[in-house]
Amino acid sequence: MQSANNTPQPKRSNHRSSSQTVARIALMASLALIFSYVEAIIPYNPGIPGIKLGIANTVTIIALYKFGWKDAAAVSVIRIVVAGLLFNGLFGMLYSLAGAAVSFAGMVLLKRTKLFSIAGVSMTGGVLHNLGQLLVAAALIEDMRIFFYFPVLLFSGIVSGIAIGIAATLILRALSRS
Amino acid sequence: MKKYLTKADIILFIILIALGIASTILVSHGKSTGDKVVITQGGELYGTYSLMEDRSIDIQSDAAHNKDADSVYNTVVIENGKVRMEAASCHNQVCVRHAAISSAGESIICLPNRIVVKIEGNGGGYDAVSK
Repeated sequence: MQSANNTPQPKRSNHRSSSQTVARIALMASLALIFSYVEAIIPYNPGIPGIKLGIANTVTIIALYKFGWKDAAAVSVIRIVVAGLLFNGLFGMLYSLAGAAVSFAGMVLLKRTKLFSIAGVSMTGGVLHNLGQLLVAAALIEDMRIFFYFPVLLFSGIVSGIAIGIAATLILRALSRS
Repeated sequence: MKKYLTKADIILFIILIALGIASTILVSHGKSTGDKVVITQGGELYGTYSLMEDRSIDIQSDAAHNKDADSVYNTVVIENGKVRMEAASCHNQVCVRHAAISSAGESIICLPNRIVVKIEGNGGGYDAVSK
């Protein structure tokens, strides 16, 4: 099992043209963007900033499992920058980028161990996403007391991460069947 | 295709939940010990008390603050992390009827006797965090 960790990622089909890659990433990024929008218009306010379902992350996870981490990272960054410009504003973008960076690194590492299911990877991603945002918030406000929010965000990250992970599992199964 | 759940998932889940519970305890503990009760009389500090220690404080008025100081009094009670005005000599008794306060920024004010009982956190909470 240890040796499996060291083997490189299985190569995806070798001779994909770069235009194909661009098209695929663009398609997934726009899909993720639509999810961001859907999430932005859901009238749901838990009262604490930072709690959300993160449905756009479904696309990132599907990209991660189906096309590898480079594509997933591209989709994620494009989605966040465009969504930041359209809906969330500059600070929202900053928070999201930090959260996504931490969460993405964690998810890629966890996936590499091959020990965790998609739901497990996604759960970690959700928790780390919230942690990353909290770190940025603490740095911006220069006050560690904001970690008062940590437990709430931790639990919400677990719940939404598992939900998103299960959704991604189901979608990936459907995709592999077609 | 992959399984929904693996053993490692469950272990990780338990670790995260444990971390959550631990941090909840840590946060709620750290928060409550930081709160203190500040009483001012006529704009001057009368005393600062811990919100965690149950006690009763009799505030005696003096001539500098009231003309007939002998008959003016307020009794503040701190109990179970909450503060209330137990009794007051004032005629309207607004402060006595005021609900007990417990979180930073709340206050009970006895205007006739010029007493302000205020709860302060370890520097106050945030009104809002920029989104």
